[in-house]
Amino acid sequence: MKIAILFSAGRHAASGRPAPVPVELQAIRLARELIGQAAGDAAGDAAGDLSGDAPGVITGFHAGPDAGPLKDALGHGLSRLVQLSIGAQDDPLPSLAAALGAERFDLVLAGRSGQGGEDAGLLPYALARALGLPIVADACALAAGPQPGTLSLEQALPRGARRRLILRLPALITVHPAAPAPLPFAFAAMRRGMLETREGVPAPRAAGEVEERAYRARPKLIAKSAAGASATERLKAATEAASSGGRLLVDPSPEDAAREILAHLRQIGVLRH
Amino acid sequence: MSRLRRDPRMERAAHRIAGTPRPRFDLAAASAATSAATSAAPGRLRRDPRGEERLALVPGTPRRRLDRTQRVALAPAGAVPAAAMAETAPRLVVIAEPAYLVAVVPDAPGGRLTPHDRQVIGAARLLADAGGGAVLALVEMPGEDLAAAGVDRVLGLPVAGYDPEAKAALLHAVLDGLDIRHALLPESADGADLARRLAALTGEALFAGAESLTAKAITRAAQGRRIEQRRAPPRLITLAADASAPHGGAPHEAIPVVFALPTLAPGAILSAEFVPADPASVGLDEADFVVSAGNGVHDFTAFRALVAALNATPGASRMVCDAGLMPRAAQVGASGTVLDARCYFALGIAGAPQHLQGVARCEHVVAVNTDLHAAMIERAGLAIVADAQKVMPALIDALTGAGAAEAQP
Amino acid sequence: MTPIMNPATPAAFCLSLVILSLAGLALALMARRARLWCAGRPVPVEWARGLRALPKRYLVDVHHVVGRDPYAARMHALAAGGLLGGSGLALLALIPALGGARLYWALIALAFAGALAGGVMVGRRRYPARPARLSGGRFQILPLLLTFYAAGGFLVAFDAALGGALPALAWPALALAIAGGLGLVLQIDRGPMRHAFAGAAHLVVHPRPGRFEGERATALAPLDLDAPRLGVATPADFAFNRLVGFDACIQCGRCETACPAFAAGQPLNPKRLIQDLAAALQPNATNATYKGSPYPNARAVAGIGGPDLPLVGAGAMIHPDTLWSCTTCRACVEECPMMIEHVDAIIDLRRHQTLELGALPAKASPPLMELRYADEPGGRALAARTDFAAGLTLPLILATGRADVLLWLGEGAYELRYGRTLRALVTLLQMAGVDFAVLGPEERDCGDLARRLGDEATFQRLAAENIATLARYSFSRILTADPHALHALRNEYRAFGGAYEVIHHTAFLDGLLAGGRLTVGALHEARVTYHDPCYLGRYNGEIDAPRRLLDRLGLARLEMERAGKRSMCCGGGGGAPVSDIEGERRIPDIRMAQAAATGAGIVAVACPQCSAMLDGVTGERPEVHDIAELVLMAVEAGSAKAARKDAAGKDVAGKDAARKDAARPPEPVA
Repeated sequence: MKIAILFSAGRHAASGRPAPVPVELQAIRLARELIGQAAGDAAGDAAGDLSGDAPGVITGFHAGPDAGPLKDALGHGLSRLVQLSIGAQDDPLPSLAAALGAERFDLVLAGRSGQGGEDAGLLPYALARALGLPIVADACALAAGPQPGTLSLEQALPRGARRRLILRLPALITVHPAAPAPLPFAFAAMRRGMLETREGVPAPRAAGEVEERAYRARPKLIAKSAAGASATERLKAATEAASSGGRLLVDPSPEDAAREILAHLRQIGVLRH
Repeated sequence: MSRLRRDPRMERAAHRIAGTPRPRFDLAAASAATSAATSAAPGRLRRDPRGEERLALVPGTPRRRLDRTQRVALAPAGAVPAAAMAETAPRLVVIAEPAYLVAVVPDAPGGRLTPHDRQVIGAARLLADAGGGAVLALVEMPGEDLAAAGVDRVLGLPVAGYDPEAKAALLHAVLDGLDIRHALLPESADGADLARRLAALTGEALFAGAESLTAKAITRAAQGRRIEQRRAPPRLITLAADASAPHGGAPHEAIPVVFALPTLAPGAILSAEFVPADPASVGLDEADFVVSAGNGVHDFTAFRALVAALNATPGASRMVCDAGLMPRAAQVGASGTVLDARCYFALGIAGAPQHLQGVARCEHVVAVNTDLHAAMIERAGLAIVADAQKVMPALIDALTGAGAAEAQP
Repeated sequence: MTPIMNPATPAAFCLSLVILSLAGLALALMARRARLWCAGRPVPVEWARGLRALPKRYLVDVHHVVGRDPYAARMHALAAGGLLGGSGLALLALIPALGGARLYWALIALAFAGALAGGVMVGRRRYPARPARLSGGRFQILPLLLTFYAAGGFLVAFDAALGGALPALAWPALALAIAGGLGLVLQIDRGPMRHAFAGAAHLVVHPRPGRFEGERATALAPLDLDAPRLGVATPADFAFNRLVGFDACIQCGRCETACPAFAAGQPLNPKRLIQDLAAALQPNATNATYKGSPYPNARAVAGIGGPDLPLVGAGAMIHPDTLWSCTTCRACVEECPMMIEHVDAIIDLRRHQTLELGALPAKASPPLMELRYADEPGGRALAARTDFAAGLTLPLILATGRADVLLWLGEGAYELRYGRTLRALVTLLQMAGVDFAVLGPEERDCGDLARRLGDEATFQRLAAENIATLARYSFSRILTADPHALHALRNEYRAFGGAYEVIHHTAFLDGLLAGGRLTVGALHEARVTYHDPCYLGRYNGEIDAPRRLLDRLGLARLEMERAGKRSMCCGGGGGAPVSDIEGERRIPDIRMAQAAATGAGIVAVACPQCSAMLDGVTGERPEVHDIAELVLMAVEAGSAKAARKDAAGKDVAGKDAARKDAARPPEPVA
């Protein structure tokens, strides 16, 4: 099985420095474990051992001016990274479509959304459309499917729920952060890994009508009473959710305590019966 | 409100005669240039405090009251039907001849709207009311709560099982066939996926994960939340959770519309099976509701029974895990798991700083502890100073008693 | 008749010949073992300096450590001195001029008598009940062999001294000496006697010669990141002098009693680790011959190895959990009479695991990743480091470009708990009018965590970037409250071109108090015990300044049983909190119990790690305060007292104010 993984130029959330996007590193692990399973190895061993992997089976692709810290993906279990050289403002889609179209990959993995660019998570969809591949979002586990040429995957849904899908390959799959953590970084593996630079397809992006400014966190809308409610009600609604100091009951009887707790849990909606 | 704000510095700069060592200004010559500059320059709009105040005015109260947080009311006053302002009598808002449509694709699992769905409909309401448009909900299973949520028109999408590819194709057809000015989706797991599929199908730009929305401007975070993008609302929008208020006014009519949907070939997904989260086995970092035991809990059989009865995920303090009473994976705190749960219920946990770090992101905390001065009591939204050992059986009794009462109506 | 030319007795002559042949056999066995050491990496060693210094290193440095256990010291002096002395003198008796002298044989008899006494002492230590820290197996028969050889030698020499008066005794005694001597010599290859020659060799080629010259010599050696293989995977990857060190181990078990991870039931026993490393040097090695206490809660390993086989892994000698249990506290190194460098070995093995295999404990990986992209193990913004000082004026060195004292805040600054300490320190510096500044957002992590977890690449990058930052400013010294940062900046950055005078806040505050720049009042009724941070006490030898400082505060200072350079770790070093290897107990709980046993109400700490670890102990326990907090309390108590005194001399209104002042609780009482 040939697997391609897309890498985007991410940025660290706090430092703002260029960094790989964690979910794309998680994709490497998913791919390695899938290959390990297919090869009949013990999955854990195949995942843990960074040295044994036929090069070219898992290839990383990045379209951008510079691989930068994406080289570190080679230390997280990727054996080969192809950088498609394009300008910083260029659209990576044509380059990736051309590179992925040239080789036939059974599976293309991508992160859920970038971190540091547009962050809209649109590229995998556009790429899937360009390559004519079906796309499935938010995978957190991959396994070989029941028939050859199929893949069984678990899709992460909110609050720990999952959806088990069986999918015909080839396909493009985006990875969800609930997937297993990336393999630890190995400096020497990064040193050994192959980084290949190719010319990409220059594709200047059309200037959008978007105005950009420094981000400012907006207050989260809190559940509040309707427009017509009185000031006291709205004040109560605003302060109750904001302050942590809530109700205090000192030495109630166990029954009273139980009643209060259950009423509170029902009110906040975690207890449904 | 729509006048451009003057920029005296720029105007002055435009008057300046270039190439002279001393600053010299020629007021006559530059007038043409300034007018051109002002019309072309994307200067900031001038604020209209009076207009804002007018919008924040809460109608129907004898005393003058302002509600500045009420974003729904930010719609231009003229667009709101005058009848709705004066009297609260009309129980149903009817938009018979909509100027355009604002489509909403709620997740609506099992036909029931989620809070996020309601917020998206609220946002769609805002965009529709700005120009006399109507809100069209595109749902797999039309439910009853659509009207109250503020939906004018409803169109059913016949999609069997989980097939986002087919759903996107149907939506694409609807977007092509009807006069839809905006299409809004929730930035939830399925909504986000669908919106991106749609964007790829139509080739349009998607404004993903909008964090604030008015009829004039919409914003989202980009570059790892370092910058904010802002523009007039485009056609495809997904809305982040808690970014917009749900519709709070009178219900709309939610009448079905007829549209000839195309038939589709089967997609690549061969089978799909929903696996509900098992609170007992879900990882602590993904759990929604965590019940945690600390030093004040001695009877772990009762604790496990309580966790099962509450349908929660079990957690524990470090002491309990060290003592081997609970597995290490259940440890909550800086050295264990940092929770993302909605509710944390701490039984007999004093709340060491490292432990509190682990529950910092929890929205609701309920604590039972014998020590009134415990940090956990201070942190909790509902704090009960009592012996957790005694409260646990009472809780189990109350829960099973409630279940039994429900079972025999 | 020339009795001088003839040996005293035939038996005595035979004894000399036996010893000669045993010495030959011993040399052959030593050569065989020494050839195995050649498998190790060659490193430059100052042979001449080592050989010259050997007697001093042995008689002074080794005996300084051995002497902490007086019984063992006497035992070793008698056994080793008697054995070597007796055998050497008996060998010299082959020179006819000496061998014929009865007085000379009396001297030999005396030496063997000493060896016999030593052998009996060895036996008394091991029989009837062997202490847990001592190894069994070959070690258990050592006293028998010693006493046989010494007794045999003594009787033969005694007979010779008497001029052959006891011929019936001399020949059986010779047989006994041969049996015992042969046994001892055969123990050179694998058994306890290996320590004698490997130990001597180790003292000559010791990888840290500075330790014998009064230096603390605790900085880790930099790793060449361009080397074909990073870290140590097989015994052959160790430098040869390290292999000598492993062979020097006599399995006295002092390291295991000092090891905090061992005490906590984590799968680490430094003695066993060194034995596994020494055993793996043998081709087709197994770990089956080890007869000491095992790794607590040992994880199963195959226990096979060889000079070119991997050391770490379930299929090898050492389980990875063993490596990651270590807190790098150096207690084992401090206790080792053979001067073995356990921590260096562990770090070398970790480097291979981390850099080559990426085989870290699951929870140790995220902090290293954050360090790579945010220069901070928690992934927090560097600018947020100074958030603890909200409300205080914290001068940035960026503003002026220079300061007398550069305050290095360290990782603790992000923690709520340690933020209080730093606030106290900053307040004290301002009270004393110290010209200080911080790097603020330019301060990166010092790299201690990365380095201890084996991520040398990240450490070297952080070190280089920090050195470049520091080079831009002018300051006379660096002040820090974090001993880990202190150690990195003072000792480990030197190899990368950063030489700084780094001072710990306890020493600095001591200086301020001594110089009268701060005046303190007494803290009432407080009994305090001081917990030495490993990286301050053991790594840097600073154990007096904090104690002097506490004494200046007028506190009743109590000492824990383990204090100073022999203090016990809090469990916070070496990345142990992030590795989080499961044991039976937690190290801070053990340490806190020791602190509570002194009856002190306050445990004074001087390190953010100790502060966090000891403050994490639940239940009834003494309070944990950093020394800076205690100094601030005392200074405030002093100024409150001064205010009262001032007020007393004034008018009635002043008295009112003083009374009001007194009503406010001025002295924090523990």
